Amino acid sequence: MPPLLAVRNVAKRYGAVQALIDASLDVDAGETLALIGANGSGKSTLSKVINGVVAPDRGQLLLDGRAVRFDSPHAAKDAGISTVFQELSLVPQLTVAENIWLTREPLRRGGLIDRRTERRRTEELLSLFAGTLRADLTPDTPVFALLPDERQIVEILKAISVNPRLLILDEATASLDSRQVQRLFELIGQWKAQGTAIIFISHRMTEIEQIADRYSVLRNGQTVGAGSMKETTASDLVTLMAPETAGGAVERRRASPDALATRRVVLQIEDLRTSVLRGVSMQVHEGELLGIGGLKGQGQRDLLLAIFGGVPWSGRMTLDGKPVHFTHPRQAMNHGVALVPGDRAGEGLLSIRSILENLLVPSWRNYGFPLRMKRARQDAAAIAARLEVKMASLDAPVSSLSGGNAQKVVIGKWLLRNPRLLLLDDPTKGVDIATKAEFYRLLTRLCEEGTTVILYSSDDEELIGLSDRVLVMHDGRISSELAGAALTTANLVAASLGVSAGVAL
Amino acid sequence: MKQSRWQQATYRHPYLFALLLLVAAFIANALLQPNLLEPTTLNRNMRVFLPLILVAVGQAIVMIGGGIDISVGSIVSVVNAILATQIGLSGDLSTAGVMMGVALLVGMGAGALNGLFIAYLRLQPIITTFATSFIYAGLALFILPNPGGGAPSRLTAFYRETIILWLPLAFYVIALILLIWAVVRRTRYGRYLYAVGGKADAAYETGVPVRAVQFSTYVISGLMAALGGIAMTLLTGSGNAQVGDPLTLSSITAAVIGGTPLSGGAGGVAGPIMGAIILGLIRNIISFANVATWWQTFVNAAIIVLALAMPGIINLVRRRTR
Repeated sequence: MPPLLAVRNVAKRYGAVQALIDASLDVDAGETLALIGANGSGKSTLSKVINGVVAPDRGQLLLDGRAVRFDSPHAAKDAGISTVFQELSLVPQLTVAENIWLTREPLRRGGLIDRRTERRRTEELLSLFAGTLRADLTPDTPVFALLPDERQIVEILKAISVNPRLLILDEATASLDSRQVQRLFELIGQWKAQGTAIIFISHRMTEIEQIADRYSVLRNGQTVGAGSMKETTASDLVTLMAPETAGGAVERRRASPDALATRRVVLQIEDLRTSVLRGVSMQVHEGELLGIGGLKGQGQRDLLLAIFGGVPWSGRMTLDGKPVHFTHPRQAMNHGVALVPGDRAGEGLLSIRSILENLLVPSWRNYGFPLRMKRARQDAAAIAARLEVKMASLDAPVSSLSGGNAQKVVIGKWLLRNPRLLLLDDPTKGVDIATKAEFYRLLTRLCEEGTTVILYSSDDEELIGLSDRVLVMHDGRISSELAGAALTTANLVAASLGVSAGVAL
Repeated sequence: MKQSRWQQATYRHPYLFALLLLVAAFIANALLQPNLLEPTTLNRNMRVFLPLILVAVGQAIVMIGGGIDISVGSIVSVVNAILATQIGLSGDLSTAGVMMGVALLVGMGAGALNGLFIAYLRLQPIITTFATSFIYAGLALFILPNPGGGAPSRLTAFYRETIILWLPLAFYVIALILLIWAVVRRTRYGRYLYAVGGKADAAYETGVPVRAVQFSTYVISGLMAALGGIAMTLLTGSGNAQVGDPLTLSSITAAVIGGTPLSGGAGGVAGPIMGAIILGLIRNIISFANVATWWQTFVNAAIIVLALAMPGIINLVRRRTR
């Protein structure tokens, strides 16, 4: 008998990034398949191919052995594939019941909605999570009034209300508390017993071990292993996800821990707390490249923002030995701190304006009134030359630059202010390999010149290759510190997932 | 995010703010005009308010669906121009009937053109309907270059003088609208309307026919504007190709006062009806208070700003006092 769903050799490219190269998986009715992989391995893209959000460039989907093609999420849903989306698909202004039954409202004769039946069915669904939800959460509660975990549960109930043959749970447990997760796992057991196939995507190894029957591992867009959970261990899976490899594209000589310790401390943080961070303490030395790693959304972004004065925080922070408490990015900028945002197009660049203007945006006030354009132009030209920006002229629009050169402009505009501490928020996300390599050389040179860099990256290999030290964050805290010989991709993945088996720390 | 009590109350009853304002405006008006509640006075007021009420209902439906319709005033003018020239002061009732049918079709056609551009060609609603409003205004001037024409007195008398059981005609029209709306709200179409206006992406992902719903709101708005145009013609009994112009901003004001946010996905029809009545009462108050007429524009603008800013102001005050 063919599997309920088979994915064969799927490939998908987004612009310069090859998200999937060769991904395959099988899932049978009545089983739970864990789809696992490190950050950026292509898990979410593969799930989007299966549920019709993304059309693959190559490869096949076989449903009950027959080739199928889904042009829209709706087509996949009609075929019995239902997804709990990471980005929620609920309409905030509608109530819980209205959202769950949208397009499938029970009707009375004459076409009016049978609200009593709708309410009853919604209550039945909500009762699945009874005890883990607020008591005043009713079918008539508007979704905008729900907390994130409650929205996630409504999303799960909406997906299951169609009685799917295949249910995809894409990081569906990320915002749930432990009781809700346990309840979900009990329900998954029931749905499995009724013959539903489940694809469970999660970063949390303990949950995978608890719920999955089989696994399929993705690494850099390729399926590198599959099998039964009974015949494997967590450390085997970590090895599959991140094998011990030599360096890779990144070449940077690390400063040894001892050498670092002799250098001046640039930034010292004690017990930093925000709405996300729960007591972070750390120090960074002059010319050090400190990596921040861990699963996505564990507070890395908040840490950078707090240092930059972008979010309110409590705790103690000293910059060059002087206590500071920035409440606005402008203050941080005046103290030589710069934050390069991850979303180049959205936050970093004014793409239709010239390179000159973009480079000078943070520094105009240094050029007086009226602006001393000649000096400004000289400074911009100097920085562009230093970064080796390949461009037609300073007056060409930023949109004429390649991705890598645009990235240099983003960093260059902060270098014009001579920052002593450079904060980078996932700077190479969605950037091709050649550009990354150039970017790595730039960072290496900056550190040699004495700039201190704190780099958050979702690319584990990049963190390992570039950083002198990596702090792994989990749930708003620093869960471990990797340095020296312990600084390997396998250790980083294991530390991110909270697995210690086979890890020499 | 925790919602304030005001936000929760306005979610359940989007017309709450309008109701408070309506009571205040009514009391103020009644002080200046003690016979306000007498059937003839009531009728004299309501028949003036009715065109805006009809247009505002259509506007509100577009806004719930996440759009806006700047062309409604021009559609009213087109309809007025058609009726005033084609029926005329001495026209017979059968021509009048046919022409009113034509007027409704013209209104829906104008709305369909708006809907085509916005829903299927994905143009910006505010720009598109602003542009088409000039097409419709030009059409009205082409049909009726100079004010003139009109409607026979038998028809206008029916509109102006009908009072059934002490209640003027306008009340029965409002009741009919509310009844139809109550039914629509209980259909799938009603749900889709709010889903599309609330979060079109999520609605699309769930399988709601987003474009068809958006298209339909403009057709409905065109139809309501045509009905407003008929009412306007019967009220004035004459033709003027610019008679609808002030109705555009007034209809948006009425919808916003009535609890329909410009961001879509919320509100209803009862609120905008109250909003339209409030605007009419304010005009009365201003004329009775013997102040300059520019105050009317000023007060209208102040009210729309206040209505838009209300939730923000309340939040600000709450945060300060905490």
